[in-house]
Parts: sequence; structure tokens; C-alpha cells
Amino acid sequence: MAFATQSVSLGRSFLLLVYRDLRLAMRQGGDAAMVVAFFVLTVILFPFGVGPEPALLARIGSGIVWVTALLAALLSLDRLFLADYEDGSLEALALQPLPLELVVLAKCLAHWLVTGLPLAVTAPLLGLLLGIAPAGYGALVLGMALGTPSLSLIGAIGAALTLGARRGGVLLSLLVLPLYVPVLILGAAAVEGAVSGLGATPHLLVLAAIALAALPMTALAGAAAIRQALE
Amino acid sequence: MNRFANPTRFMRISAAVLPAIGWLTALLLVVGLVLALFVAPPDYQQGESVRIMFIHVPAAWMALFVYANLALASAAGLIWRHPLAEIAAQEAAPLGAAFTLVCLVTGSLWGQPMWGTWWVWDARLTSVLVMFFLYLGYIALVHAFDDPTRGARAGAILAMVGVVNLPIIKFSVDWWNTLHQPASVFRLGGPTIVLSMLLPLLVMAIAFTILFFWLWLVRIRSAIVARKLRSLRLAGADDFAQLDASGGKPAGSYPS
Amino acid sequence: MTRKRRRLTAVLAGLATLGLATFLVLTAFSDNLVFFYSPSDLKTKHVPFERQLRIGGLVEEHSVKREADGKTIDFRVTDGSNTVAVTFTGGLPDLFREGQGVVAEGVLRRDGSFLASNVLAKHDEKYMPPEVADALKRSGHWQETSASGNAEARK
Repeated sequence: MAFATQSVSLGRSFLLLVYRDLRLAMRQGGDAAMVVAFFVLTVILFPFGVGPEPALLARIGSGIVWVTALLAALLSLDRLFLADYEDGSLEALALQPLPLELVVLAKCLAHWLVTGLPLAVTAPLLGLLLGIAPAGYGALVLGMALGTPSLSLIGAIGAALTLGARRGGVLLSLLVLPLYVPVLILGAAAVEGAVSGLGATPHLLVLAAIALAALPMTALAGAAAIRQALE
Repeated sequence: MNRFANPTRFMRISAAVLPAIGWLTALLLVVGLVLALFVAPPDYQQGESVRIMFIHVPAAWMALFVYANLALASAAGLIWRHPLAEIAAQEAAPLGAAFTLVCLVTGSLWGQPMWGTWWVWDARLTSVLVMFFLYLGYIALVHAFDDPTRGARAGAILAMVGVVNLPIIKFSVDWWNTLHQPASVFRLGGPTIVLSMLLPLLVMAIAFTILFFWLWLVRIRSAIVARKLRSLRLAGADDFAQLDASGGKPAGSYPS
Repeated sequence: MTRKRRRLTAVLAGLATLGLATFLVLTAFSDNLVFFYSPSDLKTKHVPFERQLRIGGLVEEHSVKREADGKTIDFRVTDGSNTVAVTFTGGLPDLFREGQGVVAEGVLRRDGSFLASNVLAKHDEKYMPPEVADALKRSGHWQETSASGNAEARK
């Protein structure tokens, strides 16, 4: 059955691509470790900046963690397609049977595994340092788990659009940060809702909805952007 | 459609209609401003401050309308690969950004006396601010490539992604509890604004729309001329380079 | 899989994710994703005490009283079914008056009253000159502004 074998091979090549990107990330000195280090260090700067008063830190803690997570995700974005673009392997990826839309999603998944996931895992530790009330931890971790995929997906559109641009890194943040605003608002509000007892569920649901809606949009826009970059 | 897509024909037709559109814009703006500033009655709650609305609301409509035009021209440019559509999209963006800025600034000026604050982070204000940054991002992206075609295509994709924001802006006041009031004109059940205020508002809206089309045409025309000039210069530079190779003067800096 | 078939699967998958996303958003909207809470929300939902939040509604008629120090103002905010007493010290915006929409930022105290640190006037979607408003009121065609404007429209 040609149908089945081909769909299996599509799934296989998708996973292979994810695996390849993960191995590359590990080989090149642990992107995940760098991102987490940046995340932790930047959050630790805040008590020095705003003063160590526990009540103040507890109140703005969720915002600090989320803003820093945004920046950490952004930091690793500009290399999402750039390395493959520069050494020509992106061209090879575009020619193989796996559709470019799925190539984009595979790279997003790999990016999330080396940035978003470690961020979500580290977040409760930082919550502890900032003194976020224990009731907020569940919402913080869940919100990160549901929100960071959107960061990778939306960021991938920006990364694909800025391939070959002058000052690509700065431009990327100009394009992507405004689009991150809803994720930031909802992520921080989820923690606030959980701490105050109003509940975090609606915010978490909308975070999940953004991630879902970003999937097809990133696949289409990212693939279109890469195609025009390769022309 | 295709008849107008030919740049030469576009230049001829636009040159013919441009003066008329310009005068119409001036006339409508004068009439609209007189109606808005002197004829329209003060509001029963807001008093004279309501007059800010006659600038603010048309500017807000234009911010959305220009974005829709930008996205349409971008889509046309991507699908038919037509240079005129690409130019049209690029030339719409700064106008849209300007209208958005006018909307934000006048809104802030109205908010201070009426609401008691220059700015709040409610859904309407935030989503409009995001649109302002989308315009800026689009302009920056278009100019970030050495190859102008690549800039146009990348910008077009961004413009189409940003369309998601339009319904969010429009319906933000219905979906969330915002400080910003809900729609008064385009709403189910008819406008909640009296005719003596609605009329100046509509005149101003039409004036802003025609002002946009006038500026848009002027900008597209000058962009076409600039492109022609550049290709002429490049052709000239080629001649110059040949001269250079045959032992002439150094070619100096090439126009970028 | 033929090219056509693959494209169809892709489109269906895309629509399915978008549909699921819409469903999640609609589920969330029936809950409390708000800029401010109404006085009824304060009663029915477990809105926490002593935390910074916003309440919104109409300033109840004949409820505004200035205290002896001349700066502190007491008024009640209503949404038609419930009211909450608000205390505020400071400058009020031009549009603040009885019967008008208002959003107050502050904390809910344990006695159920609200201590505002900031008061914003919320304008409704009606625009008319004073004579028209008077005429409407006299002829009995005046429709009272919906409490907190857009919040009412959703219900």
C-alpha cells in the first residue's frame, strides 16, 4: 500500500529531522544550557534592580519570569533557520519529499525541546527565588508548557522572514516581540489568577488556543518565507 | 484589473485623476473640520472634548482600512508577482503607521480629561499598539534586504500574518470588558450617535479615506519614478564601468 | 498518497486545529477573562480580599458623598442587581458623575467595601448634545446606559 508506506516515511523523516536538530543542538555546546543560564541569570538581576523586598517581588514575580522567558526564547531564535540557510542544507531540506511546511514544524518542535521545555522546567525554581505564592506554581508551569510552543512557532515565522536580512537579529525582535504580547499577558495573568484564587483555567485555555492556531499559520507562513528566501 | 496593472498606463491614468482627488480632499477636509469644530453640538457628557473624536475615530478606521489594503496588495503581489502591487503595499505602510499614530495620540489626549488617564492596558488600546508595531516591523523588514524583491515578498508574508490582529481590534470591545467604549456607528441596531454629530464624523471619514488614496497615489507614482531612475542609473553605471575598463576615470561610488 | 490527497489532509488538519483553538477560546470566554469585575462578580465569584483589582459599573444615583476633609469621596457602584461601596481620595476625571460608567482600581476590603487608589470614568457609546438628552429624558424615551457598557452586551 503506497498510501501507508509514504505516510509512515513522512512521519519518520519528520522525526529524523527533529532528531537531527536535537543532536546538532547538543553537539554545539548545549543550547538548552545556555538558554536556561540566561533565564536564571536575568531573573536574578531583578532583586538587585528593584530591591529585595519580598512582597514586591512576589507581586511582580510572574511578570519577571514571563518577560525573561520571552527574551530567552528570542535569544536562540535567530539561529533557528540561519545555520541551515548559510551552509545550504535548508535548500536540501526543501527538495526532499517531506513538505516544507512539516520541515518548519519539525524545526519548531526541536527548538521548543531545547528552549521552551527547559524554561518551563526551570520556572518553578525561579518562582521560589522570587517568592511567588505556592498556589501559583501549577499555573506557572502549565502556562509555560502551553505558552512556550507559541513562542517557538510565532518566532519561527520571524526567523524565516529575516533570513538573509541585514541586522537580522534586531529586526527579528522588532517583528516578534509585539506578537508575543498576548502570550505574556495571558501567562502572567494565569499565575495571578491562581494566586488570587480566581482560577487560571480561562487563561490557560486561551494560551493553548494560541498555540493551536499558531501551528497551521507558522507552517504556511514559515514555509512561504523560506521558499522566497531560497529563490 | 490588469488594465491598471501596467505601470505606464497607471502613470497616465493616475496623472489625470490626481489633481481632482487632491482638490476633493482639500474641500472635504475643510468642510469636515468646520462641521466638526464649529457646527457640531457639544456632547451632553463630554462637552467640547467630543470634538477630538472627529479626528480620532476616522484615524482609527483608516488605520484598519489601510492595513486591509496593505494585506490585499501584499496578497496580490505574492500571487501574481506583479511589481505594481508590491510597490502599492510598501507605499501604504507608512501612511497606515501615521494614521495609527494619530489615532493613538488623539485617543490619549481625549483619555486624559475624560477617563482620567493617558493610557490603560485594555484590550482595545493594546491591540492597536500592536498594530502600530506591525506597521513599523513591516517597514523595517521591507528595507532590510539588499534585493528589493526579497524585501517585498518577506514583507507581504508578514502583512498577511498580521491580518489576525484586525478582528481582534474590531471586536476587542465586545469580547472583553474594556475601558474603551464599544462601537457607536458600525453596530447592530444602528448608530447611537445623533445625526448632527454623525454627519461631521462621516464627512471627516470620507475626507480621510480620500486623503489616503491621494497620498497613496502620489507615493506610488514617486516610487515608480524612483525605480525607473535607479534602473537608468544602473544602466549608466554599466556604461561607466566599461569606460573604466577601457582606461577612463575611476567609476566612484555606485548608487545603491 | 497522491499530491492532491496530501494537500486535502493538510487542509483538514489545519482546519481541525483552528476549530479546536476556537472551541477553547469560546470555552474560556464564558469564564472570567476581564479587565474589571462587576459588583455581581464580587458576590458570586470568590474575588480575593486585599489584592489589587478593578471593578466597573455605574455610579449609583444620589450615592456620591464628600467626607469632611473635602478630599475623600464615598459612592456606590452598581450593575443593576448588586452594589458595592467605594471610598476614594484624589482627583476625579471630568466624566465622573452619578449614573455614569466608572472603573475603579484598588482593593476589596474584608467588610465588602472597595478602597480605590484610582478612579477612571468609562464612557458609553452614546453621543448627543445636552438638549437631545434632556428631550429624551422628558419624553420618557431615555434608555439607561447599560451597566459598564460592553460587559452587558456579552450577557
